[in-house]
Amino acid sequence: MIDSSLSSSGAKVVVATCGDENHPPENITDGNTKTFWMSTGMFPQEFIIRFAEPTKISAVTVDSCNVKHLKIEKNTSQNASQFEPVTEKEFEHTEGHLQSNAISLNGSSATHLRFIITSGYDHFVSVHRVSVQN
Amino acid sequence: MISPCTQNSIISFCLCLSFCVYVRVSVGDAAVGKSALSHIFHSDGSLFQKNYSMTSGVELLMKCVNIPETNDSVELYIIDSAGKQTLVEACEKMWGDLSLLCLVFDLTSEQSFANCSHWMERVRAHCQGRHVPGVLVGNKSDLSARREVQASIAQDWAQSQGLEYHETSAKEMENCDAPLLALARTFHALYQERRETIQNLSPG
Repeated sequence: MIDSSLSSSGAKVVVATCGDENHPPENITDGNTKTFWMSTGMFPQEFIIRFAEPTKISAVTVDSCNVKHLKIEKNTSQNASQFEPVTEKEFEHTEGHLQSNAISLNGSSATHLRFIITSGYDHFVSVHRVSVQN
Repeated sequence: MISPCTQNSIISFCLCLSFCVYVRVSVGDAAVGKSALSHIFHSDGSLFQKNYSMTSGVELLMKCVNIPETNDSVELYIIDSAGKQTLVEACEKMWGDLSLLCLVFDLTSEQSFANCSHWMERVRAHCQGRHVPGVLVGNKSDLSARREVQASIAQDWAQSQGLEYHETSAKEMENCDAPLLALARTFHALYQERRETIQNLSPG
């Protein structure tokens, strides 16, 4: 099942490496693919999502644009530090529509998920929605 | 013996809007005045390196530029890389992420201008099809008696490569801000354009 939105379950973005105030990182967790967070140049870029409580995650789905390579890390701590790598994925380039990639996390338990975009298909990348399958 | 004119070197620049980080890479032969230019970009023209020495490593400078008629400002990270071939290769891996190109040559050296095509090819190979806007800068315009490259020829070549042409004198601090501002504006415009495109995308 996909949650209607991560933010409604108390999850929020606590770190993002850049931000245009018109496209804030909260747009990642609002469950709406029409709103987005956009990077403003250079790689890597990253954002960290904090869950209200430790959460078992079987997979995440990332709706994005121009992302080429994504790494996911997690931790089970109260702080956004000391992450361990979970997985990484190369995204296909899409034209005219969003990339939508489901990434298996094998039921890992996490309080924070860290998304590191190491490269893109353009100077700028956008992330429209991250949703979690428990 | 290798003459300094055949050695090549690079400056790469990263630009950053108040909300953005941009990269531009500047390349060109050693001794064409890239370091002096990058220092003037950095210091608003208040500084010309009197004690010039060939860049021997990588130097990072930072500067903030306002984009006219907007509320956006640009932070520039200027990475000035060394002029020696061996060090160029070490820096070349950074080109994969470059966003803007600033190619600098010496107006008093025909050879440094001729080498520009070599640099364009080398940079393009790293861009992986991404559109990288750029400028061509003829430096040392103060040395008019020693000029070997005519403005019209440089202008034509720049146009053929999709670059905007500027002439500067880092020594006299003439026109040094123009290439920088041009690059910043271009990239700012590119950001706006991409943002619009993304806004109009349909869900996957």
